[in-house]
Amino acid sequence: MGSDSAAQTLSAGDPGTNRATGGWLQVRGLSKHFAGEVALHDVDITFERGEVHGLVGANGAGKSTLIRCLAGVTVADRGHILIGGTELRQGSPQAAEKAGLAFIHQELNLVPHFTVLENMLLGAPKVTRLGLIDWKRSGVGARAAAERVGIEFPLDTKVSELSVGERWLVMIGKALARDAAMIAMDEPTASLSAAESEQLFTIVRDLAADGVAIVYVSHRLDEVLDLCDRITILRDGRVVDQAVRGHLDKRGLIRAIIGHDVGSGEGRRLNEVDRSGMPVLSARNVARGHAVKGVSFDLYRGEILGLGGLIGAGRTEVARLAFGVDRLGGGHFELNGQRLAVENETQAIKQGIALVPEERRSQGLMLDHSVNFNVTLASLKALRSVPGLPFLSSGKMRAQARRLVSELSIKTPSISTKIGALSGGNQQKALIARWLSSHTKVLILDEPSRGVDIGAREEIHGAIRELAQSGVGIILISSDVEELAIIADRVVVLHEGRVTGELVGDEITEAMIIELSYHDGADLQGENA
Amino acid sequence: MTIASAKADQTPGRAANATRRAVLTFVSRYATFIGLLAMIFFFSVGAPDTFFSRANFINILSQASLTAIIAAGLTYTLVVGEFDLSIGYVASFIGLMVAGFMAKNGLPIPLSILLALMIGVGLGLINGVLVTKVRINAVIATLGVGTMLSGIGFSYSAFPIAMGIPRAFTQIAIGRTLFGIPNPVFVMLAILVILWTVLNKTDLGQKMQAVGSNIEAARLSGIRVDRIKMFAFATAGFCAALTGILLTSLLGSGTLGAADGYLLDAFAAVFLGSATLREGQFHIVGTLVGVLVLAVGFNGLSIFGAPTNFHPIFKGGVLIVAVGLSTLARRYASSV
Repeated sequence: MGSDSAAQTLSAGDPGTNRATGGWLQVRGLSKHFAGEVALHDVDITFERGEVHGLVGANGAGKSTLIRCLAGVTVADRGHILIGGTELRQGSPQAAEKAGLAFIHQELNLVPHFTVLENMLLGAPKVTRLGLIDWKRSGVGARAAAERVGIEFPLDTKVSELSVGERWLVMIGKALARDAAMIAMDEPTASLSAAESEQLFTIVRDLAADGVAIVYVSHRLDEVLDLCDRITILRDGRVVDQAVRGHLDKRGLIRAIIGHDVGSGEGRRLNEVDRSGMPVLSARNVARGHAVKGVSFDLYRGEILGLGGLIGAGRTEVARLAFGVDRLGGGHFELNGQRLAVENETQAIKQGIALVPEERRSQGLMLDHSVNFNVTLASLKALRSVPGLPFLSSGKMRAQARRLVSELSIKTPSISTKIGALSGGNQQKALIARWLSSHTKVLILDEPSRGVDIGAREEIHGAIRELAQSGVGIILISSDVEELAIIADRVVVLHEGRVTGELVGDEITEAMIIELSYHDGADLQGENA
Repeated sequence: MTIASAKADQTPGRAANATRRAVLTFVSRYATFIGLLAMIFFFSVGAPDTFFSRANFINILSQASLTAIIAAGLTYTLVVGEFDLSIGYVASFIGLMVAGFMAKNGLPIPLSILLALMIGVGLGLINGVLVTKVRINAVIATLGVGTMLSGIGFSYSAFPIAMGIPRAFTQIAIGRTLFGIPNPVFVMLAILVILWTVLNKTDLGQKMQAVGSNIEAARLSGIRVDRIKMFAFATAGFCAALTGILLTSLLGSGTLGAADGYLLDAFAAVFLGSATLREGQFHIVGTLVGVLVLAVGFNGLSIFGAPTNFHPIFKGGVLIVAVGLSTLARRYASSV
């Protein structure tokens, strides 16, 4: 496995000690902020050739930012990246590639209508003296790489005809054809079958044995524990723990990821939810493709229903179904006992279902417009100067915007400030405010506090609670288990498109949510992973 | 690296940064205004008798009015984040058709104009359907429609239609009903006021701006994005038709391809306008300023006896500078 070569005096839970030691690729004091939010803080990590190095952490812990810094896509505010003692020029993907760093992202960067060989050579073919591609010479290297990763299909196959697993092989082969010294893989098994995953693990081990450094980013903890020689755990942009093989078990890993002993549930305040009446929204065995495989739940007036689970568990997909963005593949929703038939967002909103999307900036905000514009957008009809005529009353708009800004204590210099200038937390509150004044019955919040600081998170929670107390049913999608434990009245946990458990009241603990989130397919009855 | 680090630790060089930002904001907002005033000043000093006269200013306004009408319609399509390359062809086509209605079919003037405007709206709606429902890229769809129109126009009448156009029709554009100012100037003002009001004072306008700003967010806010875009295309078609009709009235004939050149003028004006007062947003007042820059420029060039082949150089140059300014303004705005 080649891990012995990297014998270091490093013990589990002591990340500070490797600052001074050598190592092949050294990340030193790397820090990065995005719009005032910490993405990386003084991160030290050493990657060794011949070692499989796992990177784990909750969503937003800083894994992707770290990878992006290595790849030269993002420039860190502070800190260095040294390869073999030489400083890597940051912000240059070319420099990273020259240094032998290869990156395989989930959305495999392959050209579908090119052949396997063309894809492997893309960007770095060997050329003749005339500058034309020397297919013969290029082919030799590519073929050798293909053999190393066990590609059995012909290299003139079009990539569009390959399965996702086979595409992974192509990506790895592509990296090898360029003599990659390090290959970073982002969630490689997320879309692979069990057999394909096994094949990938074998290749990863072989590559490490050949002296390649592997950086392995994954949410699947069993996999990480099994495969990696060394595991680094990131939380809130910091390295919180590092362990060599065998020094950490799944519980310990989970504890390190969350950051404290599970099950504290501090600051928890429950709503008084009346569940005797009719649910405001019910999901009845809703399904769509592979993402959602039969999900049921009830949501009552004034209730905060948490949807837990890992990224890709199907939470967002369920929300999109309820909101009419995607078509149902099976099952149905009921709104106040009536079968819900919405075909698009406009209809859903007319029925009283609203969604605050996950990607605040790209899906929620009109960044180049004012706070006023953004918070009034969904209730324009009520803000006309004369009902029936299409003219807006700027006075009514301003009054409403001011009321919302003070109600949700949105911190902004004025209501005419561009919303892009506000902090993440205040932008989020503005997005919630957009739905406060309309006739919203069900509000779906997708990762409302992602990327905001603790203080802002509390204020967002306050806004959510207030909204619930006013009688709105709230579906809260969150990868932050602490958030769910603090604020949700009930939690439904999804895993690979299915409900793995429902927790009510005191049953809601971070430990339980995580347990259910990482519920592996094999443990479930009737699950065919 | 400098921007990133300056943002991260805001202590050093903050004052210098703020000054730079203030200067940049000022330049990006008022550059077109300053350019316009500078041109007027330069031409007035250089040719006080010919340029700096009431008659010439009325002349400039009158030249600007047709461009302003078509450019205002184009502004709408750009506000919703689309493009319309057919407007010049639509204007030419409608100019030919309206002449034909009167001269060939003997229709009365009001009916001819009404029909022509309806066809303009219809052509805009066709563009809208192609872009929103069939999902053809707007550049391709509108270029295709426009090119087809020039062919259809050719088969309708390869020669200018001048005989049989009533004098009353030509009086529309040539006549000076009030204060000795040509009528098209008032038509322009009316169109600009209406389009400005709709864009800034109605929920429809808010929705148009929302769609252009962030289409995904607009959709998730319950806005029927496709309808909003259709409306913008229809407006562009209407305005193009109006320009075509006024041009035919002005020329006294419906001529094949007569209004094709308005396409580039309109684009240059609208992009100049988007860099005026705001950071890269398309808006009606900006478009008017853009149109005036072009009109004053052309007028000055003529007065100073620049050869006509210099006009396209000026126009193309302004277009590139305008789009460049607009893009820079937007990038700068998003980096703040």
